[in-house]
Amino acid sequence: MLTLLIIALLYLQQGQAKPKLKIGVLHSLTGTMATSERPLVDALRLAVEEENQTGGVDGRQIEIVVADCRSDADYCAQQAEKLITQDGVKALFGCWTSACRKAVKPVIEKHHHLLFYPVQYEGLEQSPDIIYTGAAPNQQIIPMALWALQNTGNRFYLIGSDYIFPRTANLMVKDVLLAQGGKLLGERYVPLGSGDLALAVKEIAALHPDFVINTLNGDSNQQFFRELREAGISSETTPVFSTSIAEVELAAMGAEWMAGHYAAWNYFQSLPTPENKKFVARFKQRFGADRVLDDPMEASYIGVKLWVEAMRSLKTDNLSSVKITLAQQTYLAPEGIVAVDHDNRHLWKAAYIGRAGADGQFEIIWRSEKPLQPAPFPGYRSRAEWLVMQRGLPEVQP
Amino acid sequence: MRQMFRLKNLTITWRLVLWFVVVALMPLTLFGYLSLEKSGEALRYETLMRLNLLSDKKTLEIKTYLAERREDAWLLSRSKLVDEAMPVLLHAYSQHGSRSAQYLNAAKPFQRSFAAYIGSGDSTLFYDVFLITPKGEIIFTYQHEADFATNLISGPYRETGLARVFNQSRMTLESGISDIEKYAPSRAKAAFISVPIIRDGVLLGVLAFQLDTQRIYHVASDSVGLGKTGETVISTYYDTQHVMYIAPLQREIELDLFKPRDFGLVPLPMRQALSGIQSGGIVEDYRGVKVLAAWRYLPELRWGMVVKIDADEVFVPLYQQRKNLLGILLALAVLGGLVAFLLGHQLVTRIKRFSSTADEIARGDLSRRVEESGSDEIGTLAQNFNRMTENLQISYRSLEWRVDERTRELQVSNEQLQEEIIEREHIEKALRDAQEHLRIAATTFETHEAILITDVRANIIRVNQAFQDTTGYCAEEVLGKNPSFLSSGCQDSAFYAEMWQQLLANGTWSGELWDRHKDGHIYPKNLTITAVKNILGETTEYVSIFSDISERKRAEEEIRNLAFYDVLTQLPNRRLLLDRLHLALSVSARSGLYGAVLFLDMDRFKRLNDTLGHGCGDLLLIEVAERIRFCVREVDTVARFGGDEFVILLEEVGKNADEASQKAALIAEKIRAALSVPYKIKEHEYHSSPSIGVNLYCGNGSAVEDLLKHADMAMYEAKESGRNAVRFFDPVMQHSVSERASLEADLHRAVPERQLELYYQVQVGRNQHSLGAEALVRWIHPTRGMVSPAQFIPLAEESILIIELGDWVLDAACRQLAIWSETDLTRHLTLAVNVSGKQFKQRDFVEKVARILQVHQVDASRLKLELTESVVLNDVTDVISKMQALKALRVRLSMDDFGTGYSSLSYLKQLPLDQIKIDQSFVRDMTFDQNDAVMVQTIIDMAKNFGLNVIAEGVETEAQKILLEQLGCLNYQGYLFSKPLPIARFEALLKENCKLRDVACG
Repeated sequence: MLTLLIIALLYLQQGQAKPKLKIGVLHSLTGTMATSERPLVDALRLAVEEENQTGGVDGRQIEIVVADCRSDADYCAQQAEKLITQDGVKALFGCWTSACRKAVKPVIEKHHHLLFYPVQYEGLEQSPDIIYTGAAPNQQIIPMALWALQNTGNRFYLIGSDYIFPRTANLMVKDVLLAQGGKLLGERYVPLGSGDLALAVKEIAALHPDFVINTLNGDSNQQFFRELREAGISSETTPVFSTSIAEVELAAMGAEWMAGHYAAWNYFQSLPTPENKKFVARFKQRFGADRVLDDPMEASYIGVKLWVEAMRSLKTDNLSSVKITLAQQTYLAPEGIVAVDHDNRHLWKAAYIGRAGADGQFEIIWRSEKPLQPAPFPGYRSRAEWLVMQRGLPEVQP
Repeated sequence: MRQMFRLKNLTITWRLVLWFVVVALMPLTLFGYLSLEKSGEALRYETLMRLNLLSDKKTLEIKTYLAERREDAWLLSRSKLVDEAMPVLLHAYSQHGSRSAQYLNAAKPFQRSFAAYIGSGDSTLFYDVFLITPKGEIIFTYQHEADFATNLISGPYRETGLARVFNQSRMTLESGISDIEKYAPSRAKAAFISVPIIRDGVLLGVLAFQLDTQRIYHVASDSVGLGKTGETVISTYYDTQHVMYIAPLQREIELDLFKPRDFGLVPLPMRQALSGIQSGGIVEDYRGVKVLAAWRYLPELRWGMVVKIDADEVFVPLYQQRKNLLGILLALAVLGGLVAFLLGHQLVTRIKRFSSTADEIARGDLSRRVEESGSDEIGTLAQNFNRMTENLQISYRSLEWRVDERTRELQVSNEQLQEEIIEREHIEKALRDAQEHLRIAATTFETHEAILITDVRANIIRVNQAFQDTTGYCAEEVLGKNPSFLSSGCQDSAFYAEMWQQLLANGTWSGELWDRHKDGHIYPKNLTITAVKNILGETTEYVSIFSDISERKRAEEEIRNLAFYDVLTQLPNRRLLLDRLHLALSVSARSGLYGAVLFLDMDRFKRLNDTLGHGCGDLLLIEVAERIRFCVREVDTVARFGGDEFVILLEEVGKNADEASQKAALIAEKIRAALSVPYKIKEHEYHSSPSIGVNLYCGNGSAVEDLLKHADMAMYEAKESGRNAVRFFDPVMQHSVSERASLEADLHRAVPERQLELYYQVQVGRNQHSLGAEALVRWIHPTRGMVSPAQFIPLAEESILIIELGDWVLDAACRQLAIWSETDLTRHLTLAVNVSGKQFKQRDFVEKVARILQVHQVDASRLKLELTESVVLNDVTDVISKMQALKALRVRLSMDDFGTGYSSLSYLKQLPLDQIKIDQSFVRDMTFDQNDAVMVQTIIDMAKNFGLNVIAEGVETEAQKILLEQLGCLNYQGYLFSKPLPIARFEALLKENCKLRDVACG
């Protein structure tokens, strides 16, 4: 009798529910960024649900605490503070714009906490407390610009939204392309969200560049491609290479406008790897067959997976241990193998260039031979030089 | 229990043995098994963690090594050495060729310099260094292998790792690192690191290092901490489908290292590692042996790394432990059983004894004790039992005692409580009384009179609510201040000094003074200050009680008003009137101006009062007062003198008696007319009229009483003359006023009754030949005879009569011109007609002139209109446009009385004039007044400058004519030539002149 009691007690102890692990999500569910950021929350949700179904972390279920950043960087920083201090989250996933990231970064660093940032950005940043799961410029815009130069001609034109990412990325594009004998015909920036692209398109029509590097963000893109079409500029004569149009944006603006033009990413929904096919199937089963996946969503998904892998191998949620392990973490992602760079905590990623089809998907026409090492600070200038140059850009305030 | 014993037929001894086996041995076995499992798990976990750590350390070592080499490359690429080497080598290479002596000479010093980077022996970092041009030419290598002087873009080694990293650095300006793979020129596996050489943003070339792979292998294959069977396995992709091992395997020495293997046949950990999946666990290795392993992926080199150790080696301690445990358990079981049996037997006898004693105690005999001498548990139990029994006995006794004690204590504290309650009631009552006193004091303090209490130094220490209401200051604002801030400044310091003196002497002061409210307004207050003294007679506080007496002051003002104003009509009463009259007389004495007193009485007022009642009479008087006030200026005094009598005091009405009487008559007439309009009183229409007596005054020659009396007398005269009339006290004035009125009445009839006639005064030129005439109107009154224009023209100008008159003159003049045009003698004559201001201002004046000219068929250039400056000065633009319209008709325009007004050159220039007429006042005095002569001269010069004709009027003496002639004026008019004449005599004059000058006179 007593023996049975003891056995029962032991069994109960084994089966006792462990406290949940909380993670914080910082994305805008309202405001201008909502269209782009909402799907990322879905991707995070998918990742967490998958992990919970396979037992969570060491028997602990993961719970998502979503904070709506309302498309306001400062508010987002407050939410980060709240998630860390009040909700006691073990890691944060979020931000889209550089402004948001730059506002949240000091909060994360103050608490020596952990943030996964999922979007390609302008580089020139690194933090012991942030894992950048999106691309650095040398993993997206630079290979794309070089490919364009080799395959279309050397006369190029730069169009972008007027903020830190296009201005900084184009600094690097110009360095690389001019060193390869490229000729810069024009460079134009329009305010973020501006629909006034007539001037730029007129200029493109007059200059006949061999290709255009497009770092426009948001609604400006639709207007840009519409104006191009109206000006009779086709993808055959003047292909446009975009950095900020993925499947989600393509679906939102109408795929037919961009058909034949190019975009570079580290993930396309059309990637034929078995991991990706399963990923797409799982996502559609969970969120609907009409939904599309894109690079920032996959990067968000990767973030959760990397974190869970690190936690599992450690069997502790101690933040500094997690960060040490994360610095060497690798993962077989839908996009291929990704690995955290030990030095700068960005991901080694393969780069892809895709040509947009009328169906809203990209046909992959080029891929990097192997994953590219992230270089947030391109080595041909010192970090100090880069930061001084960036501060000198218009529209970039420290 | 006993029944169970009987049933099982088991003694406690056997039960003990059985229980020992079941309860102690079985759990022990179970716990032993579990702890073995647990320690096995711990061992596994610990080993895996160790393997994890080791593999992390190994990958980190490789990463660090590669990162350092990359940094080396960046440093070298930016160094002076490369700065110097690139141009020199490039020059020698491209000019002389790679095999030339020149190149070898040029390269020699750099060979030495680069040797420092290669190192030697254990410190070897790199195997080779390359300098490559942007076009792909390898212009320098340290090892000088077959790759030297080949082209990496088009040459034989374009598919090598070196070519790939070169391209990456060349294109992306970034560092590149290659996989480890076969490199033909070195006949070995090789990996390369490259960086761009950039100067001023220009790509000069690419620097590449060939890594020393032995060092990497060494790191990888180091098995320290892995025990006997520990091993690190490294492999990489051969191609997408195949994998190769790149470090020798311990257990399969014979394995061909670099042979490609099918990916699917490679053990799972390595497959996972190569796919980027990092983990650890118990798996089978390439030999099929169970191992504990951790596996890692190295992105830099795309390596898979498995660090493993054989499971058997790890679990050896665990197997040993298991054997030991089994042995111990067996021995325990046998030994334990034996001991249990012996112990059980001994125990049972002692317990039985114990039991019977306990039974007796339970029955109530507390004095019984167990007889047990052992010192073991049962012995102790027995002792304890005995002590317990004893304690039970003592406790029972002490309990009884404590109940008594407690009851006493309770009684005492109860009494104390009662006393306390009574005392509290006393205190509460005293408190209530004190509060009641305070409440009365506080209520008194909050009276409607403002109370202000100061200390002996006059600092405010308390104020009440009424104080705040009266002064506007709240308590917080005033506490601690001296009340002097309330002062309005209306009282001087002497006032306050006296107040203090009295206060100090008598201990009280009261009086009225003016203070300033917080909002700034000044108010009067009635103040009483009392000094509060203590028992010693020293003043401790001052209490000021005061109230705002603005209301009372206002009431006083009201009373004062009543004394000076009539209540019914609100007009000044007799008293105020007399006051004002006195004042007016002295003002008049200073200014020398005339004033007038009008005495007014409503006709038949008594009858109204009698028929309709006093109420209606009052209403009428109010209306009358209203109407009078409406007729006079603001400054004039309208007073109700009494009953239905009113007096109106008009100050400063004229400079002389005549003017004053005219104006006074005018105002009196206005009042009379206004008061004669029927009144509407309570639905009744009532007709009434005033009789007004007027008396003028100037200076204070006459007494006020006389003034009023005379006006009163004049009023009676008006009443006697049949009421509703105005009468002057002075008969001369009365006459003058009446005269003027009758003249005006007559003038109305002058035009229709053809009493007007034109006279003509000749205007002559240089030789006294007639140029024309000025037409002057004369009034031949049937009874008065000829009336002077000076008399009736101003009269006419006061009314619209002047227009009728002007029209008549214009018409008569044109008629005359028409007649003149028929004879040679008169055909050339112009006729000047004066135009008054009112006439000229008529909107249709020009049309009227045109029409008259048309009616009489007259040459317009014969008509000359004379305008005075006063006409022109009004509304210059309108005047100019009218004059231009007249000019367009060819009517001539002359400026009359030039020089008397304010004519200025600037506007004279704008006027389309033909002629200027020098005023007779200048002409009259010019022969003896130099100023006038100069004036005349100026006018003449100016007229000449503007090209205007100039004529002098009022020429009466030959001397004047000669002087005018000398000054340049050649046209004249005046008594020297002829006075204004009726037409017949004028025409006779023309003929006479004609004859005199002996010319054909038509």
